[in-house]
Amino acid sequence: MIMGDFWILATASLVGVSTALVGVLLILRRMSLLGDAISHSVLLGIVLAYLISGSRSVIAMMIGATLIGLMTAWLSNSLHRLGKLQTDASIGIIFTWFFAMGVILISVYAGQVDLDQDCVLYGEITMVPFDMVIMGEKMLGPRALWLIGGVTLLNLLVVVVAFERFRLVSYHPLLALTLGVNVTFWHYLLMTLVSLTTVASFEAVGAILVVALLVIPASSAYLWARSLKQMMWAAVGYAQSAVLLGYALAAWLDLAIAAAIATLTGLQLLLTIAVMQWRQWWRRRVSFRDRDAYTR
Amino acid sequence: MVFVRWNRLKHSLLSMVLFGGWFGLIAPLQAEPLKVVATTGMIGDLVENIGGDQVALEVLMGPGVDPHLYKATQGDLRRLQRADVIFYNGLHLEGRMQDVFEKMARFKTVVAVTHEMKKDTLIEADGGTDPHVWLDVGLWRQAGQAVLATLKSKRPQQSSRLEEQAEAYFAQLAELDAWVQAQTDTIPASQRVLITSHDAFGYFGRAYGLEVRGLQGLSTATEFGLNDIKRLKDLVIERQIKAVFVETSVSEKFLRSLVEGVRESGHPLRIGGKLYSDAMGMPGTPEGTYLGMVRHNVSTLVQALK
Repeated sequence: MIMGDFWILATASLVGVSTALVGVLLILRRMSLLGDAISHSVLLGIVLAYLISGSRSVIAMMIGATLIGLMTAWLSNSLHRLGKLQTDASIGIIFTWFFAMGVILISVYAGQVDLDQDCVLYGEITMVPFDMVIMGEKMLGPRALWLIGGVTLLNLLVVVVAFERFRLVSYHPLLALTLGVNVTFWHYLLMTLVSLTTVASFEAVGAILVVALLVIPASSAYLWARSLKQMMWAAVGYAQSAVLLGYALAAWLDLAIAAAIATLTGLQLLLTIAVMQWRQWWRRRVSFRDRDAYTR
Repeated sequence: MVFVRWNRLKHSLLSMVLFGGWFGLIAPLQAEPLKVVATTGMIGDLVENIGGDQVALEVLMGPGVDPHLYKATQGDLRRLQRADVIFYNGLHLEGRMQDVFEKMARFKTVVAVTHEMKKDTLIEADGGTDPHVWLDVGLWRQAGQAVLATLKSKRPQQSSRLEEQAEAYFAQLAELDAWVQAQTDTIPASQRVLITSHDAFGYFGRAYGLEVRGLQGLSTATEFGLNDIKRLKDLVIERQIKAVFVETSVSEKFLRSLVEGVRESGHPLRIGGKLYSDAMGMPGTPEGTYLGMVRHNVSTLVQALK
């Protein structure tokens, strides 16, 4: 019984770590909707995978989704650079286009097949503890946890090793260019990380949780963090507490776990804004009072 | 000798403890009802009627829930963990959850009620099998057989009682089956066309001799093209069809647009009522049981098309 809760919490918490890390870098680049975009464009990936392989197996769907996820990220970046369009516009163009192609392919070739992200790709976090990796007689923990564990490790590794590069490229892209840093390479590396993280997490725990954890904790951290390092720690902290409190809320009121956690991240953001407004107001009041005392 | 006597005493003590232990294990097994989880209300209804008070039933997808849009809650995790037996529909009705159920079958009694249905009794669409088997009452009895076999294997001591309950329910199903056939036969042959929101009524149509058309495909998630609407419109006008039907678990928005389109061309088409396809009605109402749901569907249909 308790193990089930533990596996769910562990999986959600690792999703929180990996999405918060790349989420911070995305926010700084004004591309935070990329996760949402990928959640739609993967439709094309799974339709193509189905048409090529003829099966709806998770592996085929994952491969198709990952490839199209990478294409979405790369192409929207290229469109932004070469086509001189805004980042939000280029993301919007690529994912709607991919999604539309997916819809067309379904209606032409696969109208009778139950084929959409929800029923062939997106996982359900509640089912995580029932989907174990089994070797012989041994149970080696949930499959989703392994998948997400791998992705988290990759993200941590890249962020730790390339932290200085990412900081330079995020805050001072012009300086980075003049210093001879290959800005394009780092952009595409980030895009690759984002699409791997999101597709793996969609498969493990479902879309809403991933999109929320990618954008909201990083935004809350963005409001007050003073350095990239601080922002990353804060985002991870927000994500972790949202996972814990959200799960407790779901257990208490018998709610869908992913939705409860996502709701908690939103509440955290509101609370952060409220605290900051209050502090601002307090400071202003104090400074007015000081000035009054001074002029009197 | 004291030694021997002590040994004997030990023996009897040990056997008492052991027997006590066994009794302690068996007694709750006998007294406590089997904990069963069913994914859909229709399966739950089978379990309830066949298992009677020997089972404690919990259903995951409540009334009005489209299986495509079902989201598991934290409580569902508990229900699945506690369950002794889990019944699901299979044929991809539960989507990704089915993969997990198939894996769980190694550790738990997890049974797809459709798993023993023969290939030629199922409707194959290109690439997938139509999962809506419960709308053919005769075929649904086979699902009941699967439920009965599973419950019997879990509670061999009570198999005769389970069989009695199952036979009584199967008799009701047979009666219902005959009634549905008799009712649908009263619809004029040219009018035996059932147009609904999505292709859920394939088995129903095949069993009782109705032509079935859906606006959407097998899945409620697929979109329909302009051609689909046009084709349906032509069919309605050509066959002088009087009514189309909405489903309780699917939005009626798209079907309304079809009805308005047909009315503009001068043919009086109306929405004949609501049919229960993917989920049953509220518990406590007649439509909250499988028998009531089928009866409601058929009388709605017959009234509107006759």
